[in-house]
Amino acid sequence: MVPPRQRTLILGLILLGFMIAGFFGLRALHAFREFRRHGPPPLEVVFTEQAPETDVELIRDWMTIPYISKTYRVPARALFEALGISPRGNEDKSLAQLNEEFFPQSPQIVIELVKAVIRAERAVPTGLPPFPTVPPPLTAVPPVVP
Amino acid sequence: MSDFLLTQIINYGAPILGIIVFIGALGAPFPGTFIVIAAGAFAKQGLLTWYTTGLVALICVVLGDSLSYGMGFYARGPVLRRFQMSERWIQAEATFKRWGGMAVVWTRFLLTGIAVPVNLIAGTSGFGFRRFFVYDLFGEAVWIFGYGGLGYLFGSQWETISEILSNISGLALGLFILATGIWLGIRRLKTVEARKAKVPEA
Repeated sequence: MVPPRQRTLILGLILLGFMIAGFFGLRALHAFREFRRHGPPPLEVVFTEQAPETDVELIRDWMTIPYISKTYRVPARALFEALGISPRGNEDKSLAQLNEEFFPQSPQIVIELVKAVIRAERAVPTGLPPFPTVPPPLTAVPPVVP
Repeated sequence: MSDFLLTQIINYGAPILGIIVFIGALGAPFPGTFIVIAAGAFAKQGLLTWYTTGLVALICVVLGDSLSYGMGFYARGPVLRRFQMSERWIQAEATFKRWGGMAVVWTRFLLTGIAVPVNLIAGTSGFGFRRFFVYDLFGEAVWIFGYGGLGYLFGSQWETISEILSNISGLALGLFILATGIWLGIRRLKTVEARKAKVPEA
């Protein structure tokens, strides 16, 4: 007969192992399905220089304006102008920080504006002059909607 | 936390990555694998130089691991006083000396959740530092350049890759605990059966 304390330890380990393996196994499966849905990048681009990113849905709150400018090949000036924010002292702040500092009453407005500017830039066909207008700058405190 | 760390890496580059993996190696709950894969993707975007970043990260993480090994090494005295060099302690030390190398390597990139306890046990159990260093360097090189390489290869899909790998790491830990439980159970049952078989002979 196995002593009760050892039996509890063994059963506990087996149960804990099952729970952890099941939890992470399901999550890994879900992530893998997600990966397959988008598909891996084509082999020819894997070892070549990174092309400009085009999918604005990949923009995240932790990114900074200079980083987005480099990744999406959009002038940082255009992004700062659209937000109505000076680049000075704000270049190393994330979109989340900019939102919190300049538009505390409008969550996610910074990320949405940045996406809009990039979409507008992308909409310009190659060979034509750049998109003529930049969205008008916002005021620090957005107008109250009744 | 992850978002803050990512912003710092895109702002300050390899030195911040080095500090993150160094502190992570000492036991701080940083999402190391996530950060390393992200750094690979940043290298692909031309934001970081892959070899400098990789080298800085490797040196820092090995330094962190060596320091946590050192903590275990200097705790050896009190631990030995506590266990009085019991038979079980001697057996545990012998087991770690035999399998410690593998434990060090696998916990660098797969069972990452138990890397720090393994460093401490390696130091406490008298596992040689040179051996620890070689296995640690190999395992961490796989972690930095292997996982960072995946971030580099998959570029903008690095978040999905990171999620898959983090979950695989969790799955491996779960399977390891499960296997340990089953192994202990079988070993215990065999001992009980052996005792039962001896009783009639006596």
